[in-house]
Amino acid sequence: MARTLMRFTGVGGQGVLLAGEIFAAAKIKLGGYGLKTATYTSQVRGGPTVVDITLDDEEIFYPYANDGEIDFMLSVAHVSFNSFKDGVSKGGTIVVDPNLVHPSDEDRKTWNIIEIPIITIAKEEVGNVITQSVVALAIANTMENAIDKQVLIDTMLSKVPKKVHEANLKAYALGEKYAREKM
Amino acid sequence: MAELREIISTGNELAAIASVDAGCRFFAGYPITPSSEVMHVISDLLPSVGGASIQMEDEIAGVAAAIGAGMSGVRTLTATSGPGISLKAENLGLAQMCEVPLVVVNVMRGGPSTGLPTRVSQGDIRQAKNPSHGDYRSITLCAGSLAECYTETVRAFNLADRFMQPVFVLLDETIGHMHGKAMIPTIEDVKASIVPRKKFEGAPEDYRPYEVELDQPAVLNPMFEGYRYHFTGLHHDAMGFPTEEIETCRKLIQRLEDKVMLHTDELESNEEYMLDDMTGEEGEVLIIAYGSVALSAKESIRHLRKAGIKAGLFRPITIWPSPEKSIRHYTDMIKNVLCVELNIRQYTEEIERVSGRLDLEGLYKVNGRPISPYEIVNKVKEVF
Repeated sequence: MARTLMRFTGVGGQGVLLAGEIFAAAKIKLGGYGLKTATYTSQVRGGPTVVDITLDDEEIFYPYANDGEIDFMLSVAHVSFNSFKDGVSKGGTIVVDPNLVHPSDEDRKTWNIIEIPIITIAKEEVGNVITQSVVALAIANTMENAIDKQVLIDTMLSKVPKKVHEANLKAYALGEKYAREKM
Repeated sequence: MAELREIISTGNELAAIASVDAGCRFFAGYPITPSSEVMHVISDLLPSVGGASIQMEDEIAGVAAAIGAGMSGVRTLTATSGPGISLKAENLGLAQMCEVPLVVVNVMRGGPSTGLPTRVSQGDIRQAKNPSHGDYRSITLCAGSLAECYTETVRAFNLADRFMQPVFVLLDETIGHMHGKAMIPTIEDVKASIVPRKKFEGAPEDYRPYEVELDQPAVLNPMFEGYRYHFTGLHHDAMGFPTEEIETCRKLIQRLEDKVMLHTDELESNEEYMLDDMTGEEGEVLIIAYGSVALSAKESIRHLRKAGIKAGLFRPITIWPSPEKSIRHYTDMIKNVLCVELNIRQYTEEIERVSGRLDLEGLYKVNGRPISPYEIVNKVKEVF
């Protein structure tokens, strides 16, 4: 497998970090290499946050995604979308929450922009806004086919409390469903 | 080869786990980005092994409490970032003078002053060499991978007890926060590697803690075991009491120098990456980098080699005292040398001093962003 580079962006406090950790851990479980880095501002909540995920069968040294090489980005905040979109390769996929991110016509010409209301799905269909990171995880993996689905789900379940296993499984299933509809 | 275990974690968490595995039983400090997770994690771990952790009212009190625990005989950690070292500097000088072992993890961020709290930097290289006034020699280790956040912290505890002084472990925001796989030694191997500080076993009335060989550290017995002595930041005699006696003063400070500088062979540790096929022929490129920048350098060397440019990396792990002989060996052999740092020439000046060369090329960045492999590749192609 060639290197997979994914970027999740949001604002501080939304919990975009967890999805990155799950991806990295699942890839390592499969015998490969996975790294997650997070970049954030000194603003505690509300500042743009970016999580880079690098997955490879070979050892990874540099832990950040090189600008212009990212295959897939997901964004749930407009400020972060604008700050970090240029890292995505031309024609690459960017999934945005249309209630929170408003790409320009120019953006739509440059990238394959897909709109999925991630926060609304978590809040209203799953019933727990915190599950948004798992909805995002499912969307990213369904579109990128980065990791064996069952390994990813098992890794995810190992990182969340037992009492919310069911909600997170539902979140994963919904993320996958919405992603398939848009593919 | 020794057995290794796999752990998926961050650099900061690994430094905390390593401390506990290495026998650290006390932590005192004050939270500061990007080092706070070291404190969070060790605070969770210490009570279950009979240790204690305390958040003090500020950085100064944090290091003071840690030094107090070190004086009592316990393996002790504090963790901070550059601004915290600035505040701790005075007390770190006290620990040097009193010869109190202590491990200080510094997760570097942008400076000076409060700088760029959440962003990466290597701006504390010079600071680590001389955080406070006076003559003494810093021992500073710089982790260049997740695994080294663990192994270098373990090594730091052994060196602190061997040399009886503070030992710095430098991480940076990138390596402290990156999350991935590390292959680290088993707890059994770490426990077997622990060498505790020397102890005087004779009669208490014969005990002279500071009366030691001229190239050796003081022998400070744990407190409350019947061995009495005195701590002071003033020049002191065999029992630790202040003195201005000419020869005692001279010998004390010369010993602080010599206990480190006459034993640098016990301290040196480097990584030589893709250097084994270097012969000194025209066109070869030597990159010198340390810490997280070395990750980028290694990736750049992959690209350069693919493009037919024979490049390799020399990475000091013990950065103070610097590995003089090894630096001289490679800078004598290879003409094209590029130093890459997340500061402005802080270590390049040391390479210049050691190599005697003033024609080294440099790539430096101080805006809180990492140096990408492509920037190194482009620089190599541009200058050589």
